[in-house]
Amino acid sequence: MPEAGAPEPIARLVQEFSKLPGIGPKSAQRLAYHVLRAPEDDARALARALADVKERIVFCGTCFNITERDPCGLCESDNRDRTLVCVVEQPLDVLVVERTGGFRGLYHVLHGALNPIDGVGPEQLRIQELLGRVEAGDVAEVIMATNPSLEGEATSMYVQRLLQPLGVRVTRLARGLPSGADLEYMDDLTLSRALEGRQEL
Amino acid sequence: MAARPRVYRAEGVILRRRNLGEADSILTVFSGSEGKFDAIAKGVRKARSRMRGHLEPLTRSRVLVAHGRTLDVFTQAETVESYRRLREDLEASAEALYCLELVDRFTEEREPIPELYALLVASLALLQEGAGPSVTRFFELRLLALLGYEPHVEGCVLCGGRLPEEEALLSPAAGGLACRQCRPEAGAGRIVSVAVIKLLRFARRATAPEFAAMRVPGDAAGELRTAVGELIRYHLDRDPNARRFVEGVGALGREEPSPPSAPDSPL
Ligand SMILES: [Zn+2]
Ligand SMILES: [Zn+2]
Repeated sequence: MPEAGAPEPIARLVQEFSKLPGIGPKSAQRLAYHVLRAPEDDARALARALADVKERIVFCGTCFNITERDPCGLCESDNRDRTLVCVVEQPLDVLVVERTGGFRGLYHVLHGALNPIDGVGPEQLRIQELLGRVEAGDVAEVIMATNPSLEGEATSMYVQRLLQPLGVRVTRLARGLPSGADLEYMDDLTLSRALEGRQEL
Repeated sequence: MAARPRVYRAEGVILRRRNLGEADSILTVFSGSEGKFDAIAKGVRKARSRMRGHLEPLTRSRVLVAHGRTLDVFTQAETVESYRRLREDLEASAEALYCLELVDRFTEEREPIPELYALLVASLALLQEGAGPSVTRFFELRLLALLGYEPHVEGCVLCGGRLPEEEALLSPAAGGLACRQCRPEAGAGRIVSVAVIKLLRFARRATAPEFAAMRVPGDAAGELRTAVGELIRYHLDRDPNARRFVEGVGALGREEPSPPSAPDSPL
């Protein structure tokens, strides 16, 4: 809530900041006053960056990752294995998998996971587009890399069921223990799955 | 008078999760002792969180919760049942999610209904064993009964007369079955078959495993689903979101194990 008597532009900025995820009214106020005190150039750069992200970033029409041009660099590259498609929930997940440097295939970003209770159904995700890519040929294996959450798993099973008649191989990431986790506090589900995915020492 | 204890214990099923800030979540728990309540799980979205796997939706957990100024805070959580086989079955998880949504929509915060909690736990166990959608039908009907919305199915809800063994009108507004003479006054509803009437009656006497074990022909099962769905919609004033998912999954068709060598397509 903007404080009473704050000039309208400040109140408006506070209100806009408080719409951001993880920003409460207090933080929104702090950010707004920070912008007010900051050099004019910094404030303009922020405004420009905000505008650019909406004006210059588009979705790749093939993998639906965020990109400056469509198709994106990954989809256009000659150095990627076009028979492998890694399916993720969010554009950020592409960065995470890319950072491992261990994957040479292409991606498909669903833009979410099925959440039946909150009303997020298959038609809100880029599932049909994935089917289209597989139907078009080329793809030999689809790797489901959705989160190991209830929603992620439901999404993975649902997509797997849709892909099955197309005869493509569908795999999913092995689920182990998060590094740094304490065995004592591990839940049964994670632990039993990690046991199944155990490897020879 | 003794001061309010700073923490309390509860055993419950996690109904849903909303993210809060960078690393926290607000979880809705339905427990036997406290009823439905929300609490914050701090840092639960970090990979190293001790509580992470114990507070996933569709997990039955024992929790320790501290009273907070605005929202209570989980201080410990331990899984009682992770429903692994349920989660790994698309049809069963769709049914389970639908049941969780019904609990969330039909209950008020901090109003314990221990019988509903027992019903939920029993139903999830049956779904996990592969008992299928009849578990959900039983769950819906019992939930309505526990909340005081049980449809009157033994006789005509309006005149109290006996119903001959023939189809009858099931009217959510009138609160049950109406005989042929009373139909004009019963309001909107749906004509249900003798098979469905028998199932509605059986659900009042049966236990969940008994009802789930009943062999119901496909068309009667579909008719019962629609009829009970209309009762739910009437009392909720909407359809639960998860119903569309259950139907969507149903439309996919059951997974057939692929034969080792598929015969050549005739096309
Ligand atoms: Zn692309
Ligand atoms: Zn009557």
